[in-house]
Amino acid sequence: MQPDPWQQWQAFSALFTPAAPAGSARNGASSFAPFADLTERFNAAARTYLNGAANGSMPAVAAAARGFSESLRELFGDMPWNLGAGSADGGASPLSALQSPALGATRESQLRAQRITDAWRRVDEAQRRLQRLAADALREAAVAFAAKLAAASPPAPSTEALHKLYGAWIDCAEDAYARAAHGEAFCSALAEYVNASSAWRNELQASIEHSAKLLDLPARSEINSLTQRLRAVESELRGLREARRANAKTPEPKAAKPKRARRKAKR
Amino acid sequence: MTPAASFAALAAANTSTTGCSERQVVWQSGKVKLYRYRPTARPAASAPLLIVYALVNRPYMMDLQEDRSLIRGLLSEGLDVYLIDWGYPDGADRFTTLADYIDEHLAGCVEQVLQAHRLSDLNMLGVCQGGVLSLCFSALYPQRVKNLITMVTPVDFHSPADLLSKWARHIDVAAFVGAGNVSGDVLNQLFLSLMPFRLTQQKYVDLVAEPPDRAGLENFMRVEQWIFDSPDQAGAAFREFVTWFYQENRLAQNRLEIAGRKVDLHSLRVPILNLIGKRDHLVPPAASLALRGLVGSKDYTALEFDLGHIGMYISARAQHEVPASIAKWLASR
Repeated sequence: MQPDPWQQWQAFSALFTPAAPAGSARNGASSFAPFADLTERFNAAARTYLNGAANGSMPAVAAAARGFSESLRELFGDMPWNLGAGSADGGASPLSALQSPALGATRESQLRAQRITDAWRRVDEAQRRLQRLAADALREAAVAFAAKLAAASPPAPSTEALHKLYGAWIDCAEDAYARAAHGEAFCSALAEYVNASSAWRNELQASIEHSAKLLDLPARSEINSLTQRLRAVESELRGLREARRANAKTPEPKAAKPKRARRKAKR
Repeated sequence: MTPAASFAALAAANTSTTGCSERQVVWQSGKVKLYRYRPTARPAASAPLLIVYALVNRPYMMDLQEDRSLIRGLLSEGLDVYLIDWGYPDGADRFTTLADYIDEHLAGCVEQVLQAHRLSDLNMLGVCQGGVLSLCFSALYPQRVKNLITMVTPVDFHSPADLLSKWARHIDVAAFVGAGNVSGDVLNQLFLSLMPFRLTQQKYVDLVAEPPDRAGLENFMRVEQWIFDSPDQAGAAFREFVTWFYQENRLAQNRLEIAGRKVDLHSLRVPILNLIGKRDHLVPPAASLALRGLVGSKDYTALEFDLGHIGMYISARAQHEVPASIAKWLASR
């Protein structure tokens, strides 16, 4: 008798989630926990689909397929673009008070703080734009997956069938993602995210460097300056060595023949 | 294997060693090391083969384990194999440029090999980004290269399927690099984002769903280690590489200069073997195949394998086909 495919698939994944509470692997301590969790949640969605499609009528199969693909869209919705964005309130920052005019003795500090806040807001907006495009791609994937499921009879539950369903979903997701990722909108959104992140990091670095100088701690710009000087010295040294080697290889001019010269002198 | 045994095997494989062929350091300059592998068969080629690996990953992928080692295959074909290990750049290397890599480190390794063998030229095998460096070197020092092999090497960085290039084109590289190095971890995220569902989800779920045997688990962990063992990139060289190659496509447009000298691929006359992975998602075939129309060499051969980028080094099929193809091609020249 074939073992229960749901249990079989879950048995191995359970090993990777030692700290998980019963019935969920979500809080597992292992680095493998997210994948075991994903497996478990995929199992649940697939089981619902197969049970729903079991009666074989076309409307029931199609409805189960749609439900399955929608649950997968949600399941994958926060991956892999869960980049740790800020609040979900559309970009209102708790630091908005810092947007007041910079005045007084701390004016420069206020401006630095404002620049960092502005840069972070730009990162946050760029990330939201990227996530919207990713969500669109997942929606496309869900539609394609539902169509694929509806076009064939639901498989009998088995580990192999589950694995194939999972593979089919990944194919749909990658296809939809690839279409989006090659598009101008995604390329531009990704570039904006990277550029905004670079700007934020550079502002942060500048601020930290300023504080380091106040405390007379060595700052990165000083170390960079010293590194550049060292490179220049090394380059000069290399040039001198090469010149010396080249000189050593150059044959010396033939020496005059002293005896003959002397003889000529005597004459 | 029971689930418990699979788990134990996976945990034990965490500390797997990499590199399986006997070798020794024959030259070192800063963090760069030149290795020579101990020959295992009767010599078959007149000149040694220098492998120039990419800067963005570690070169032990060339010699991952006994049954998955391009280097082992080359040795068994009678080739005298050298390999450059670029090391792990740190903060002191942030101003290292492509010219430094090519004119000092790569040229230094070549001189060392040539002196040791009392030869005037050698065979060079450039892998991925290392292939780009090899092309630049061969164009700048044509008298030093006897035969050139490029493997999964991008040449036309603006081919339609090149997703990395499309992403890179709008990025402000100078701001991204700043005055520092580029984190290998950040680059890894970028590479994983090319196929996020397969690379960050499916392969782990597959492992959970259908755990392989002990050897398979160990192999999985070695590849996993290699993927995430990503050196930081020297900032200046990275900025130049992304700007000149990915954004401006200078190599394919014949307007690349390294330290003020033109890298003219048209002037390249050495025999060239170009090895391409048909399913390569990092370097699409078209990006490599463009080489033919850009070089002056009359002796040009392209071999396409039905493999992906990593599969070109470590797949079972590659072990049978790639080293033998290289050895056969070299033997006839």
